[in-house]
Amino acid sequence: MNYCTHCEVKIRENQEECPLCGNMLSGISNNRHEDIFPRIPPYYERHLAIRILLFISVAAVAISFSINIIFPSNINWPLLLLFALVSIWLGVIALVQRRYHISKKIVRQVCIISLLGVFWDWKIGWIGWSLDYLIPITSIAAIITMYITAQIMKLSIREYITYALIDGLFGIIPILFLLFGWIKVIYPTVICVTLSIISLSAIFIFRGKDIKMELNKRMHI
Amino acid sequence: MKQHKEEKWTRLDNASKFFPAVANNKDTKVFRFSCELYEDVDPEVLQQSLNLTMESFPFYNSILRRGFFWYYFESTYINPTVESENKPLCAPIYIRNEKNLLFRVFYYNKRINLEVFHSLTDGAGVIWFMETLIYHYMTIKYGEIFGNNIPRLNYKASISEKSDDSFRKNYNKKDNFLQRKSKQSSAYQIKGSRIKENRMKLIEGAMSVKSVLDISHEYNTTLTIFLTSLLIYSIYKEMPLNKKNKPIILSVPINLRPYFGSTTARNFFSTMNISHSTHSDNLDLNEIIQSVSNSFKENLTKEELDRKLNHFMSLEKSIFTRIVPLTIKDYAIYIANKLDDRKITSSISNIGKIIMPKEFNDYINQFSICVSARRPLITLCTYEDRLVISFTSPFEETDIQRRFFQFLSQKGVEIEITSNL
Repeated sequence: MNYCTHCEVKIRENQEECPLCGNMLSGISNNRHEDIFPRIPPYYERHLAIRILLFISVAAVAISFSINIIFPSNINWPLLLLFALVSIWLGVIALVQRRYHISKKIVRQVCIISLLGVFWDWKIGWIGWSLDYLIPITSIAAIITMYITAQIMKLSIREYITYALIDGLFGIIPILFLLFGWIKVIYPTVICVTLSIISLSAIFIFRGKDIKMELNKRMHI
Repeated sequence: MKQHKEEKWTRLDNASKFFPAVANNKDTKVFRFSCELYEDVDPEVLQQSLNLTMESFPFYNSILRRGFFWYYFESTYINPTVESENKPLCAPIYIRNEKNLLFRVFYYNKRINLEVFHSLTDGAGVIWFMETLIYHYMTIKYGEIFGNNIPRLNYKASISEKSDDSFRKNYNKKDNFLQRKSKQSSAYQIKGSRIKENRMKLIEGAMSVKSVLDISHEYNTTLTIFLTSLLIYSIYKEMPLNKKNKPIILSVPINLRPYFGSTTARNFFSTMNISHSTHSDNLDLNEIIQSVSNSFKENLTKEELDRKLNHFMSLEKSIFTRIVPLTIKDYAIYIANKLDDRKITSSISNIGKIIMPKEFNDYINQFSICVSARRPLITLCTYEDRLVISFTSPFEETDIQRRFFQFLSQKGVEIEITSNL
């Protein structure tokens, strides 16, 4: 074993300096000891690709605004570009986070897509496509995706039932569009509401007990 | 996969609620319990022993999840696997939304390392898990040598006793959390340059228990009080002159099990703050020992421990705390913890004696324990005549550590130093 004459302690590992005082150890013995701790290589910055993309996005927005100022045009296209990029990034962030809760992520995506859709629709002069098509179709897609992923990933019923419930409830909301006469095309909405009612009734009739247990667990105070 | 089995869930105990809110990459709230053998670890035997151990500690097979108001443990069927050590010391274990067990088992050459997220249990709680693991390892690996006299494991508690929430059991509603205790002044803070990537520097000093006990007796005191005082002394000696108006305050965890007759393998501890003012020009170790010893006496009475337990429980039980959503609770705890941190200079935690059957002495060199640290701090434990004092620190500087170990070596204690960086 090596010895630090300054600190008067033995050094167990193959070190050249004393871990306490930092002095060089004199008379290092040649027989190597087995390491007690492994050398863990440094952990390099991950997500480099995402950083590059973020940089490109910011640069693109800055350049587009400056081009628009120098060469003015009738439509405010840099603003549209900004919205488009913000939409993409919101989507990406929601996808990257919560990697381990597929069902939660689906619910989040439905909310983000719906809100962004309404916002876009409103911003470009309210044609009504977001309520007519986007929200009902997103909800339908979510209910189906939820069911399929649960089957493929063999999720236990408790893992996704709360989200299936939220999803089903969300899918019923478009009935308001119909009642208030906000929409021109009714077919997507009708299909969406019907599917949600079927999905919800299935959940309550066959899995009512699980829902109750899940809620007890998640909402205990 | 036993899919048909019901998934159970459990509330967190009082102390566990704190850790997920404050754990981050700088302070992961993970501690490591190591056992060093004389021979290289056999991974297959270790895996078998771990599987056996899990049967006696079903509670450890849980993941931590977020509810709307509180966190909760959910039982799972993830089987823990042993791995060759591949992460830095006390790397994060609890990561929000990841469904991982709250502990991991690493092996590297002669060492078996058990790393645990503090919500699951405390140092004293994990001793039993580790003892069981090593017991199985020894009996499988060296069973033939022991022949018919296979030693018996000393720890016997029922599975329900092991997963007991002792905070809840010993709460008697006397306290009101609104009664604030006397205000404490802010403590001296050790500063230093952080190690890259928030890694931690561990310096372990192994020595003979007897030789340190002898020195403690020279000062007419116990081992824990002596080492606590020596830590205060070492910090004092390395303190910059202009900071000497602030007291040195050590946070010392107390294992509540002996006081309340509990055998839980979950968290059951409290902490006390040992304060020492640094006004006088030349602080003397004897003087520190005297004051530390008085503080220990005052804090370690059943009444005082009762008071603390009830205080924290009443806070948890108050309807106001309960109806606040978890996200807000997390922030509140985080901020309260930051403020509380200013009142602490360092900490020292003595896990105590690890007791294994005598027959294993020929195979086990030492046990040691260390913990993630926001500031230099000490954890220690003893096995047979070997005392291992582990300093962990997020800083490059090692002046306090050097001062501490040099004092002991100058008193004639033979020390073997190990460091991870």
